[in-house]
Amino acid sequence: MSATSVNRSDPSGETVGGTAATTPNAPSATREGSRLRRVAGFLALLAGAIVFLFPFYYMIVGAMQREPDPTVSGAFPDPSNLTLANLEAINGRVDLLGSLLNSAIFTGGVILLTLVLGLLAGYSLARLEFRGRALVFGGMLLTLILPFQLLLIPLYVMIVRTYGLADTYLGMIVPFAVNATAVFIFRQFFRSLPAELFDAARIDGASELQILMRVAIPMSKPAILTAVLVSFIGPWNEFLWPFLITKEAAMQPLAVSLANYITTVAASAANPFGAILAGATVLAIPAVVIFLAFQRYFLQTDIGASLKG
Amino acid sequence: MSATPRAEAPARAPVTRRLLGRQPIGALFAAPYVLFWLALFAWPMGLAVVISFRDYFFAAPGAQVERPFVGLDNYAQALSDPVVHRAALNVAIFILINVPLTVVLALVLAAALNTALPLRTMFRSAYYVPYVTASVAMVGVWLWLFSSGGLVNSLAGGLAPDPSWLVNSFWAMPIIALFATWKQLGFYVLLYLAALQNIPETLYEAAKVDGAGVVRRFRAVTVPGVRSATTLVVILATIVGANFFTEPYLLTGGGGPNQASISPVLLMYQEGIQQGEAGYAAAIGVVLAVFVMGVSLVYRRFVEEGEPA
Amino acid sequence: MHSRRMRRVAVALTALLVLTACARDGDEEDEAGGEEASGPIDIWYSNNEAEIAWGQAVVEAWNAEHPDEEVSAQEIPAGDSSEEVIQASIAAGNTPCLIYNTSPAAVPQFERQGGLVALDEFSDGASYVQERTGEGVEQYQSADGQYFQLPWKANPVMVFYNRALFEEAGIDSEEPPLATYEEFLQTSRTLVESGAAEAAIWPSPASQFFQPWFDFYPLFAAQTGGAQLVEEGEPRFASEEGLAVAGFWRTMYDEGLSPKEEAAGDAFADGQSAMAIVGPWAIAVYGEVDWGVVPVPTADGTPVEETYSFSDAKSIGLYSSCENRATAWEFLKFSTSEENDGLLLAETGQMPMRADLPGTYADYFEENPDYQLFADQAARTVEVPNVENSINMWQTFRNAYSEAVIFGEAEVEPTFEQAAEEITGLIAE
Repeated sequence: MSATSVNRSDPSGETVGGTAATTPNAPSATREGSRLRRVAGFLALLAGAIVFLFPFYYMIVGAMQREPDPTVSGAFPDPSNLTLANLEAINGRVDLLGSLLNSAIFTGGVILLTLVLGLLAGYSLARLEFRGRALVFGGMLLTLILPFQLLLIPLYVMIVRTYGLADTYLGMIVPFAVNATAVFIFRQFFRSLPAELFDAARIDGASELQILMRVAIPMSKPAILTAVLVSFIGPWNEFLWPFLITKEAAMQPLAVSLANYITTVAASAANPFGAILAGATVLAIPAVVIFLAFQRYFLQTDIGASLKG
Repeated sequence: MSATPRAEAPARAPVTRRLLGRQPIGALFAAPYVLFWLALFAWPMGLAVVISFRDYFFAAPGAQVERPFVGLDNYAQALSDPVVHRAALNVAIFILINVPLTVVLALVLAAALNTALPLRTMFRSAYYVPYVTASVAMVGVWLWLFSSGGLVNSLAGGLAPDPSWLVNSFWAMPIIALFATWKQLGFYVLLYLAALQNIPETLYEAAKVDGAGVVRRFRAVTVPGVRSATTLVVILATIVGANFFTEPYLLTGGGGPNQASISPVLLMYQEGIQQGEAGYAAAIGVVLAVFVMGVSLVYRRFVEEGEPA
Repeated sequence: MHSRRMRRVAVALTALLVLTACARDGDEEDEAGGEEASGPIDIWYSNNEAEIAWGQAVVEAWNAEHPDEEVSAQEIPAGDSSEEVIQASIAAGNTPCLIYNTSPAAVPQFERQGGLVALDEFSDGASYVQERTGEGVEQYQSADGQYFQLPWKANPVMVFYNRALFEEAGIDSEEPPLATYEEFLQTSRTLVESGAAEAAIWPSPASQFFQPWFDFYPLFAAQTGGAQLVEEGEPRFASEEGLAVAGFWRTMYDEGLSPKEEAAGDAFADGQSAMAIVGPWAIAVYGEVDWGVVPVPTADGTPVEETYSFSDAKSIGLYSSCENRATAWEFLKFSTSEENDGLLLAETGQMPMRADLPGTYADYFEENPDYQLFADQAARTVEVPNVENSINMWQTFRNAYSEAVIFGEAEVEPTFEQAAEEITGLIAE
């Protein structure tokens, strides 16, 4: 088996290089053990991580400041300047919990629809030979190339005018079902599985549906998790579409409520940045927490491990 | 070896197989996706063209309104509108900054993450944090960081541009491109990481036997090894460039200053939804769709050149 | 059993598709309601606290008397602008019966969309509008002479200044030199150079179509002695007066007296800016600032009692998706009665647009001399022109203004002339 499985190794990383017997396929760099290179790599990663995490950290610090302090010392929490008043300020104008719930329903609906459509289409594109497959694949690629944003006018006409789905969850969700990223992920994944697996099942007399359900899907945990992660992030982050079709505050996902707060209401707040950042923190935390929970699964399973099983 | 695509054995097939393919059930599997695709992608695309030939605006249900056919008027207007030109230029600026930065940084970081280093898991999570956090939330932080009295300016001191970053017609677009790069990079690191793990170890061994150093191995084995991932990264990063909306809408207050950071999608929103010129906005969308498809095709050719089919 | 599961998924999907496909097609829906129907109605009002308080009080009073025709009120949904929200709502067919935040600039567009009901359809419609409004009512007529709006309240804008900051900069805070452009600029320079304030005056530099109403337009109204942006199909802003106003603002921006960046909060309330162009609604909001008020400047100075300004008026619109129109019309009249107009004045400080305002509420103005100035100003205001494509027109103007005046990236005169040409085409459509 050629697929390596770095992820499966001890997360501490230190023991990986030396014991080639347990991880025969670890990258050569680790075995080489060039100390200098590893230090350089470590420092690069550390610098990168600080750059990447700082705004996130700064968001939380800013959210808890009573008086906004944009100086360098303001980047460090000052106990005398800490408050939860910003959270109250924004919660007074935006129903944070209700908006979060809307975000969750919107995101959940998209994930469900994407997974069902994606697994079926991905499998058929990767492993089944049928007339029109190239056409379907081409059409799917087209959606990757042409983002739905470029279709926002006709979609708006359709969803709002023709179907009357303004201010509904369904109206928010359905345009995202076309997103081909999940289809693409599953297709790539199923293609990467050895053909022998499928051939063997077929010889055993399994139907394609059974192969999909019993062979392909059980092996595709990592792909499913990737697809969930990717399709989670899309709608959770999405601003434009729900912004266009939800005008009723009670239907708006948090990203939309917060953006409206930033553009219209914040000007009248006592500490506008503080209130915005408090809202931003509420929007950011669930996504990060869910992601970190998923991250563990990513570490435990990987493509290589599935193949060996 | 198992990951290499297997060539299908050519065989003489019965008529039904030639007509429907070897596994016609595949069409059934793909059907749900295809239906959504037709309803929410193909149909709106057609509708966009129809709308773009009319003086179309949004009327109340039941209202008798005229939406005269205006031929190519909307297109002529779009092609001669300086704001459309500016939006196109901004897409170019965005891609020019975002794509090279993304490819280089993502590959380097992924390569570093693929070696056994302490705290690797933590680093990897750090890079994903901006990616999983909603743009609207992160924009809140950047607004604060880059405002005229913000942290960046207090660090920059005399080097701070005047007017400040987000209202500076030179800096507004680069800041948006940097924001998008920073925001998305974690996803591309993930793509590269997966690709790196599929490079057969034997290739590195062979290169080492040939006496290749670290840099040579990176260039001779790693870079070509992740070529298909690079294609994907380049195309996806380009597409982000064609559809960014949240950043100019929120970060630079509606494409400011003076349209310096206007994006095509923001323009479509302003013209179509805010000002009710849906026909004109649809025409802009169609022009951009054609443009994006063209660019993507060129890219594919260019990036995949020399790659075995 | 797997296939059974698949089948269930397929059924769910099909259901979703059918649901999507069968959803109503708005275009074919019959026009709802009629002039005679009465029953419960919905209304939207603005989202500032004072107006909400007024709205709740009026609705409560109505509902107590009319249990069968209950009015439910809510804030207008948030959005980039109210006009955009209303426009989207018209398209979706879910507007409420009455919106107490309808911008006269958007009325022609809403009318074209088929979103508004002409008040003339009610037997006492036109007469009510004319009697309440009095002089100047024709500014609110549509091209064919109908009333698609009731002009409701005005917020004639003037220049607020912060006395404490003026004193800090060593400027007379009783009679500050702000009448001519030269005086205004000199005062602004003193304010900023002395460090008393970050900005002399901080109009929003954002690009929304309505922003000119709070920088260019009031000064233009004053400079021209009451001209609209467009008159008889001709744009007037590329005139000598328009260019003088633009030149004034450009100097403010060039010299850094007005920032090109959006203020993070309310710059005047936070003391970042020493002046602001606002209407009387702000009196309640700026309670903590020791402020004074003067009319907007003109090139050579104009006496207070001759200075025009922008009205910043809002109308009430009755929307076509309304079913119980008889109730809506009755409530509209109820909410704009002499009593409830008086309540609006008392609660919000905004000026009801009715004939002889100072005479009708003489007691109030005696008790609140601050507001007297605005009531006087209300007599000399300019409305936005009631033309087709009005929002487009303002947006075109704003774009030109941003480029040439705020960001100084082009010469004012040619930019304005080009915008005037475009606008001539737009409103002729």
